Amino acid sequence: MRFWKSWRYPAHWPVPRLDDRLLLILAGAVVGTSSGLAAVALNRSLLWMLKSLMAYRHFWWSFLMPAAGAALSSLFLEKIVKEGAGHGVPEVIYSVSRRGGLLRFRSSYSRLVSSFLTIGSGGSAGPEAPVVMSGAAIGSSIARLFRLNERQRVTLVGCGAAGAISSIFNAPIAGLVFTVEVVLGEWTALNIVPIAIASVAGAQISRILQGNQIAFAHRQFPVDLLDSLATVGLAAFTAAASILLTWALRRSHGVSTRLPLPLWLRAACGGAVVGLIGFFFPVVIGEGYHWIREMIEGAFVSGFGLALLFVLAKITATAFTLGWGGSGGIFAPCLVIGSLVGLTYHRLLQILWPAADWINEGCFALLGMAGLISGMLQAPLTGIFLITEITGGYGVILPLIIVSTLSTTICHYLEPASFYLKELVERGQLLRPGTDGRVLTDLSVAELLEKDCIAVAPDMLLGDFIEILQKSRRNYFPVEDPATGTFLGMVHLDDIRPYLFNAGLYHAVLLGQIMKTGIETVHPDDDLPEILERMDANRLYSMPVVANERFLGMISKATLLDRYRKELKVQTTLQ
Amino acid sequence: MDIRLFHIFRNTPLGRETLLQSLYFCQKVGTSLLIYIPQHTKFLMYFENDVVQVDLDSSYLTAPHNARRHAEELAESCGMVPSFFTPKHFTASTLPDIPTRFEFMCCPRSISDLHSKIGLGYIGPRVRRIVKSARFPVLMTSGAHKEWRRITVFFGGSANAVKALRLGLRIGQKTGYPLDLFTQVEKGDEKDYRAVVASAGLEAAVAEGVHRWRFFKEGSFEENLYEVPHDALLIVGAFGHGVIRDVIFGNMMEKIQSIMPNNFLIAGPHCTAGS
Repeated sequence: MRFWKSWRYPAHWPVPRLDDRLLLILAGAVVGTSSGLAAVALNRSLLWMLKSLMAYRHFWWSFLMPAAGAALSSLFLEKIVKEGAGHGVPEVIYSVSRRGGLLRFRSSYSRLVSSFLTIGSGGSAGPEAPVVMSGAAIGSSIARLFRLNERQRVTLVGCGAAGAISSIFNAPIAGLVFTVEVVLGEWTALNIVPIAIASVAGAQISRILQGNQIAFAHRQFPVDLLDSLATVGLAAFTAAASILLTWALRRSHGVSTRLPLPLWLRAACGGAVVGLIGFFFPVVIGEGYHWIREMIEGAFVSGFGLALLFVLAKITATAFTLGWGGSGGIFAPCLVIGSLVGLTYHRLLQILWPAADWINEGCFALLGMAGLISGMLQAPLTGIFLITEITGGYGVILPLIIVSTLSTTICHYLEPASFYLKELVERGQLLRPGTDGRVLTDLSVAELLEKDCIAVAPDMLLGDFIEILQKSRRNYFPVEDPATGTFLGMVHLDDIRPYLFNAGLYHAVLLGQIMKTGIETVHPDDDLPEILERMDANRLYSMPVVANERFLGMISKATLLDRYRKELKVQTTLQ
Repeated sequence: MDIRLFHIFRNTPLGRETLLQSLYFCQKVGTSLLIYIPQHTKFLMYFENDVVQVDLDSSYLTAPHNARRHAEELAESCGMVPSFFTPKHFTASTLPDIPTRFEFMCCPRSISDLHSKIGLGYIGPRVRRIVKSARFPVLMTSGAHKEWRRITVFFGGSANAVKALRLGLRIGQKTGYPLDLFTQVEKGDEKDYRAVVASAGLEAAVAEGVHRWRFFKEGSFEENLYEVPHDALLIVGAFGHGVIRDVIFGNMMEKIQSIMPNNFLIAGPHCTAGS
């Protein structure tokens, strides 16, 4: 029976427990493989769906296809898996930031199905965020199965994200960098090895099942100084497009949530608008990788005006897809919009300086993708490595670095938080390890409670109180109603100083006459950052903790600082 | 610290009965009451190693304009002033996070499924997940408000039964109500069960705090449940039998809840309330 009990639960398996690092590496490989499989499954099914529906795109009623897809997607999320939450990556970041990487198991498949319905039917979104969510949830579930601790669980969530990105783009470095830069926000010796392994596993799965394909192969681009200088202007364009896309996504979400319609109907309306736009501008339909290939190869023939119109159409379609209840990510739309922006910019350069010997427009399309990804995610390394890997070469690395870093900087200047993080930052929920907010959030009032205070009664004579004072090490004394235990106020040592040397008052003054009432109190459920703000605003060094009119203890800055340092050491020490 | 019972209020007659039972529990055990009036049908509870999504049925959102007033009126009628919980953190805009730092939580037998099932003694999967993951015991209420004036702990000798016993001793001490132990002797004899209590260091506490320890050697478990007083709060450890029995036959908790109409207090595998 004992044998059965120990093998029934993976958490009790003895073999991988020999070494925590080995366990993480093994688990990372499993998670990377699983998330890679999820990515391939979604990729294949999307291709099949898009091809199947291609024949019907020219019919007048084709605008109903994205509407039906988005409606089914939201119905699936809302009614079947009951997970009508976010579009994926912010939820993963939230879980890493605040919940030690805990994610629901259902997230490992829910987004795959819903985004398959949305994107496959023609919605303007990408499959990357859903597979990141799926991979992260797989990582979290495996960590739970083995009962790993919080740090290890976060690492496995990162492994899932890395494996997913790595698999879907066949880009292992991009998967690793995206995870570290965007999802985890920290680069430590503990997490980097398993994430790298997961990334490799994800890419390998993709190569086994789909072949070692470069997503957007292109010929060599001989970039000269003039082209490199021109990328400065491109960075400004991609940054502007990033800001516009962010604004459109948030604005459309805000408008749709104010409509008194059920979610599925809103999603259907959004899908119908996308279908209508797609009827005239097919570039907006689906994830749009086919169009990117055309642009990089230099086969996209539209002129400046039409290209600009395509940019606006794609931004609008993406906003109507994701903002109105469809499911999917922004990676692929960013790549399409970025390449269109690059193309538009190239057209503009040709109009302004027709005599100049500009490089092929495909190069600008490629740089535009990097600029937009970097600007939207405010993650320049992700942009650089992703474009380098998915285009299969380092030939344009110099302008790539310029456009990525500049686009990130401009976007950061105009919009301090990236699209993924903006909502979390606004809600005060982005807490990276080792930061003030994270350390404070990991402590609770209950941990800091100082309970060695002596409670006194309001009808106690000053003389009696002085005897208590001699025994106590504290300056604060809570005053409680002796009958009900209700907290009435506080007596501070300073309050009795004027009476201390007048023995005649010892038998005349009651504590009820001296105590301070209406003082600032703290509830055990209050957040420490708020408590600290109140302490600073009122110049207090300690505050009483009161719940249901009962005094529970004191919370002081000195104790807080002591615990803060210990927690900071735990969070920042390399393991 | 303030000892709190967390209650999710349903603004319906069934919700009223449930709240009355929570209020009664709070009065007897001396805890304060924290009420959550849901604004969304979904919420998340993050436990140490699990995240539980609860999908409430739509009856929890009935008449939100008078839900708080109804809850306050009920509490006042029992002489209590409840606190109300407002979620501060959200995993997504319609998905609030509910903290899990409570000492007790009240659940109807099902909080996710249609409440028509509750009367049939059906424990929903979410309630099971909460019981399994929580550090607090879960108060599972009967369909109609029923005062209890006794306590019965089901003691089958397992680790969770020991937790239930500790919890029962604590509740007995707080309420002053007589505490009975109910043991269906299945393997060994009385001595074995007493040895489990002794090895848990509870011999003296049981001698002092337990009014009556009844061992049932004859008859089936279901049959012997008739001997449990109708006005007893039942305290039971979740998953109170061996692994094989759990898998094949279901467990003690299942059997009791499907037969008994009383209120239950369930100590799950991670419960620390009695220690």
